[in-house]
Amino acid sequence: MSLFKRLTPLLITALLWAIPAHAVPPIQEQKLDNGLRILLMEAHNVPMVSMQLSMAGGSRFDPANKGGTAMLLAAMLGDHTARHDHEALAELLDAEAIQLGAGADREGLNLSLTVLKEVLPSGIHALAEALLEPGWNKARFKLIKENAISAAQKAQEEPGTRAAQASVELLFGDHPYGHPAGGTLATLKKIKLADLQRLYQTQLKPEGAVLAVSGDITMRELVDLLKPSLTSWRGAPKTGLFDIENAKEVHGQTRTIEMPTTQTLAQLVRLGPARQGADFFPVFVLNHLLGGGGFGSRLMEEVREKRGLVYGVYSYFIPLAAEGPFIITLQTRANQAAEAEAVVRNVLKEMFDGKVTKKQLKETKANLVGSFAQRMDSNRERVGLMGMIGFYQMPLDYLQVWTKKVESVTLADVQDAAKMYMNPEMWNLVQVGPSSIIEESKAGDK
Amino acid sequence: MISLRWLFAVLLLTLIPTLQANAAELQQADFKNGVKLIVEEDHSAPVAMIQIWLKVGGRDELPGKTGLAHVFEHMMFKGSKALAPGEYSKKISAMGGNDNAFTSHDFTAYFETVPARESYNVIEMEAERFANLKLRDEDFQKEIRVIMEERRMRTEDDPNSHMFEELSAAALRLHPYRNPVIGWMQDLKRLTIEDVRAFYKKHYVPANVTVVVVGDVDFKAVKKRVARTFGRMKMQPQPERFNPTEPEPFGPKRIDVTLPAQLPLFAITIPVPVWQPGENDREAAAIAIATSLLAGGRSAKMTRELVDLEKVSFSAAAGYDPFGMGLDLWYAYGVLGPKNSPEKFEASLWKLMQKMGDKPVAENELAAAKKGIIASEVFARDSLYLRAKHIGTLETVGIGAAHQDEWLDAIRGVTAADVQEVFRKWIKPERSTTGLLIPAKGTKS
Repeated sequence: MSLFKRLTPLLITALLWAIPAHAVPPIQEQKLDNGLRILLMEAHNVPMVSMQLSMAGGSRFDPANKGGTAMLLAAMLGDHTARHDHEALAELLDAEAIQLGAGADREGLNLSLTVLKEVLPSGIHALAEALLEPGWNKARFKLIKENAISAAQKAQEEPGTRAAQASVELLFGDHPYGHPAGGTLATLKKIKLADLQRLYQTQLKPEGAVLAVSGDITMRELVDLLKPSLTSWRGAPKTGLFDIENAKEVHGQTRTIEMPTTQTLAQLVRLGPARQGADFFPVFVLNHLLGGGGFGSRLMEEVREKRGLVYGVYSYFIPLAAEGPFIITLQTRANQAAEAEAVVRNVLKEMFDGKVTKKQLKETKANLVGSFAQRMDSNRERVGLMGMIGFYQMPLDYLQVWTKKVESVTLADVQDAAKMYMNPEMWNLVQVGPSSIIEESKAGDK
Repeated sequence: MISLRWLFAVLLLTLIPTLQANAAELQQADFKNGVKLIVEEDHSAPVAMIQIWLKVGGRDELPGKTGLAHVFEHMMFKGSKALAPGEYSKKISAMGGNDNAFTSHDFTAYFETVPARESYNVIEMEAERFANLKLRDEDFQKEIRVIMEERRMRTEDDPNSHMFEELSAAALRLHPYRNPVIGWMQDLKRLTIEDVRAFYKKHYVPANVTVVVVGDVDFKAVKKRVARTFGRMKMQPQPERFNPTEPEPFGPKRIDVTLPAQLPLFAITIPVPVWQPGENDREAAAIAIATSLLAGGRSAKMTRELVDLEKVSFSAAAGYDPFGMGLDLWYAYGVLGPKNSPEKFEASLWKLMQKMGDKPVAENELAAAKKGIIASEVFARDSLYLRAKHIGTLETVGIGAAHQDEWLDAIRGVTAADVQEVFRKWIKPERSTTGLLIPAKGTKS
């Protein structure tokens, strides 16, 4: 068993880091005539290719009260096709060590492929077949759904799963972001095969979709391989990625979930900026200072280093097409949860009051700028970054100008962002833990 | 495939320890005081991974002091002669780097990913804290609380981890894999700064150090820097590692673990050999292939038979780590759904194992399993972290990084008969320990 001194911050994909411009390989772009955008970064050091196809078919497109539809659709597409049942497909892929994956997050339904260069043609065939020739096998659907329901029940053992669900419900309510991407015990049970088919027919279209590729391949080779397989795929999604309103703000709310644990998990939540928000960079730098930067961050300093209250405390925001969640999370022995929460609120208050020094800002920016190269030193990481850039229609020189954007964030920008986001009274609290302690902490509040 | 010892660790989640294929040439240097340097140059990106590996881990703790190796790892960040507590990480961060560390039963390692030009400074900083650690009681008192929170989070409040901890303890009598690396809470409560200081003095000696660097560096320049830092430290006696021979099991063992949980978890674990190059290459590789047939790839037999056909669990897997010391706790488990029964899962699992021993696996399945292992090693080469980690592991557990390519040769040489033999000789009920997580009454939602 390996024990990391710190937890890896969750959801690293939600973050972006800076890189000296000279170190960024250029992103090449080509559009197929069906509208699909292909983005490529060549990397010839390992004989492999990774790619991810992202379409606007994630959980926010789930039918009402049927959260988990997109996740089940992804599972079905990756499981079998009209031409190969699940056993035949498995054998076909294993014979050439082709890793084909499918999944759904809040906004995207993604198919992914990692292959040795020598079997890329078969890999692309398999990806196209999974996408364009779904099998809709009823028996497989029944089993996949039943297993997803069991998995959702098992996941209820994790305080983090409980907190995540409560947080999105609190922040977003009936908004399309208002349920976990994997659905819940209750919503999964209601999903029918026809729901998957409807989502497939309305949303999984080439217009607005992005195929991000990194590895030992050139654009010309890639397009020659893709064109014949994807030429029959046509159309645009019924609901576009950016057809979405921001959720209404909620603040000062508390949700309490009882679990027979020794620790309490406390999560402070509010809305954060959208992916294309004008204040994205100032908030990004602000968050790194607050709790996104691991050990250098203020929350880690105050809650762990000075007081030994937690193993980890982190903050992050998930920038989406609309405003997504901004989250601060910690776990501590139940009877000291109130103390830890007070420390967090005090840190927020200080930042809200503008207490950030030039030196701190400089150090934060230095870390962000210096560390980008290592965040994109593998094919899979590069695919993730390019997928985000393409999916959210960011400019293709995004990585080249990133350093400049981070460096140009001023102290005043950070203080403005703090005025906007750090007001302790605007945050909500979700707590998961043993009942006796939660009762006590409530009494203490009065 | 991941080992039982890794199973309940929150590792960088996407990183599964795998091997490498077509490894680039390793350059090595040995210093008089016992320090070793291994470098793999890769100039494809201007970054470098530096890892300092120690031949000390949970296995080297004395009775009553479990968790000490990991506690010590935390204390390495608490200040030295040159740096205040926490300053080490801040300096790494300021140069655009990240640092961290991990502890297992077999090793402790400290690592940094940095812009390549900073590698030489980092080696100097690592040597400085290694030689001049402060170890103040006030820092220890805070850090031990942090570690107890870590244990609560990883083990006390996770019924599945908790069950695996109990299962390991029940499976072995002598071998130190029976104790959790994070330590028993009862021991953590009693550790003192004196224990930490004694541990430092005994184990943090030059002969226990391997410096591993992978990335955009020049071997000669790295060697020079190591020579005048780690290489200059005073020679000290190297303590012998604790590696007792586990007595053979005399029959099956079984434990029930009742904890707040939603659904049962059924698991078995069995001590099996680890790889010893030149001694048991074929046998260890056959165990790896057998495990891959059961739980690797899409055609994994446990998924096919237990989940898809017999529907006795909603997920099932197995794991083997050939790169340990003395033995590995091979494991297999099934996560049971609300309609599943542990008895049925158990019967189906052993029926499958029996079949694997009775009938040779089809040639195409064997070929696919080999291909999968080899490909995943190519994919792992895409990560500096995994490459350095594999080198460090092989060196520290006593296999030797120089042997790393021989593992794939061994994998290629495995026959269907070798795989059958694994189930006849090792994966048998009478050698197993079975654990069942039973949800405590009134805890289901």
